[in-house]
Amino acid sequence: MPEIRAEYQEELKALEGSALGGLDLVSAALSRTLEAIEHQDIELAQIVVADDDRIDGRYLEVHQALITLLATQSPVATDLRLIAALLHTLKNIERMGDQCVNICKVIPMSGHEPPADQEMVKLILTMGTHTKALISQAKRAFEERNVEMARDMVERDDVVDELNRECFQLALAIGDDADQREWAMTMLLTARAIERIGDNAVDIGEQVAFVVTGLFREFEDASHPGANA
Amino acid sequence: MEGRKLRGMFGSQTKPETEEGQNTMSQAGPVTETSSQAPGTVSARRAKTLEAKGVNLYYGDFHAVENVTMTIEPNKVTALIGSSGCGKTTFLRSLNRMHELTPGASVKGDIYLDGEDIYGGGVDPVAVRRLVGMVFQQPNPFPTMSIYDNVAAGLNFNAGKVSKGDKDAVVEKSLRGAHLWDEVKDRLDRPGSGLSGGQQQRLCIARATAVSPEVLLMDEPCSALDPVATLAIEDLIAELKKEYTIAIVTHNMQQAARASDNTAFFNLDESGKPGHLVEIGTTEDIFTRPKQKETEDYVSGRFG
Repeated sequence: MPEIRAEYQEELKALEGSALGGLDLVSAALSRTLEAIEHQDIELAQIVVADDDRIDGRYLEVHQALITLLATQSPVATDLRLIAALLHTLKNIERMGDQCVNICKVIPMSGHEPPADQEMVKLILTMGTHTKALISQAKRAFEERNVEMARDMVERDDVVDELNRECFQLALAIGDDADQREWAMTMLLTARAIERIGDNAVDIGEQVAFVVTGLFREFEDASHPGANA
Repeated sequence: MEGRKLRGMFGSQTKPETEEGQNTMSQAGPVTETSSQAPGTVSARRAKTLEAKGVNLYYGDFHAVENVTMTIEPNKVTALIGSSGCGKTTFLRSLNRMHELTPGASVKGDIYLDGEDIYGGGVDPVAVRRLVGMVFQQPNPFPTMSIYDNVAAGLNFNAGKVSKGDKDAVVEKSLRGAHLWDEVKDRLDRPGSGLSGGQQQRLCIARATAVSPEVLLMDEPCSALDPVATLAIEDLIAELKKEYTIAIVTHNMQQAARASDNTAFFNLDESGKPGHLVEIGTTEDIFTRPKQKETEDYVSGRFG
């Protein structure tokens, strides 16, 4: 029998593409953010802040279109789960964009030539690289409906969390210079923001599992660590 | 009397044998509760379970339904969905022995009403149909009968002598139960055919419930109704399940999703092949995470 409701299916597919395309926008924003951190580039940081409107716009636009599909097409089963997951994922993407903005807003606070500790900068850039990989993995796992790939993100995110803790230790040991301590504080905020982006990527992985299995479980419960679902 | 005998056979738990000289109807249903209840409310009671085991249905040589085993749970609404020709209406009609009324039609397998085989030897099909009532696609009130007589018709056919007072009480309770009383109470002597389609369907539901059945079978009861009348019937179904076990055949999947607790999906491999049960589960599961791809494709509207 020929496929029916072809237009609806195509629209749903296109909306998935638009929503997941938001991850590319976030990935680009994070790359610029890391570059701005590395070079203390205040102008580039301002571009990231301004450009976040595109991520927000994508969020609102796809969100509205998904609500319209719900209202007009009565999706059920996998389609319904996909739409619910996309609504969730859009929110994660929007939050990831906001975290880049949070980082870029603190970059000017430390001035043009801050008393930077190169080891700590290197740690944060490494965190950023790992997190960018997580974003790509979330997108690919979603596109391929690959639960194993999604679940694998938990361990990769643990690496980011560990780097975040190392940043904290470095900040503690940074010495008595008031300017350098202030700089270290902003870097801790930065590390924390990047760590949150990783968590959001893992949340998207959980949505992949929901789309495929119909069961929504957190991969790892932050309030009960070690008790994997 | 034949009807009395089978009534006792089926109703030993909820419907004790009537004593000599007492009126059958006032024993059978909670008629006497009517006056103490707020209008339109029904009291909950446990209705009976219908169980099909290895049911095969035939029209002559044609094998229409193949090997259906499923349970229609008490006080729940079970929706039967599937494309035309998949056997869901044929199956529904086997549940109160209406299938066999078609010339050449036959049944293999067993259907139990709370453990009693409705196809068992010596069972009167008429008694089965009184315990397992049917509401049809097209509202079919007796056209020349008044609204009152339409509801009371089953009492007249089934129960021998019923006093006027008891009959009045049953008619009022049934019409209230069908959410129709307020609309017709001042014109009970007018013909049922003068009502709107939605009202006629509620009249047919009142007629079906007047004889205090255990199970109500509904064959696309809303397909001839407008959306408002449809929602009124769906509200009514939700109310009726407190007293009855309900099975409903519907082509409207959103209706199945809205109005049922369990959903059974029927399909056939190709035209000319028998229909079969693909999957039965809670309506939530069928519409959010069906187990079979066939079900998924059907409820998602991917295939005609």
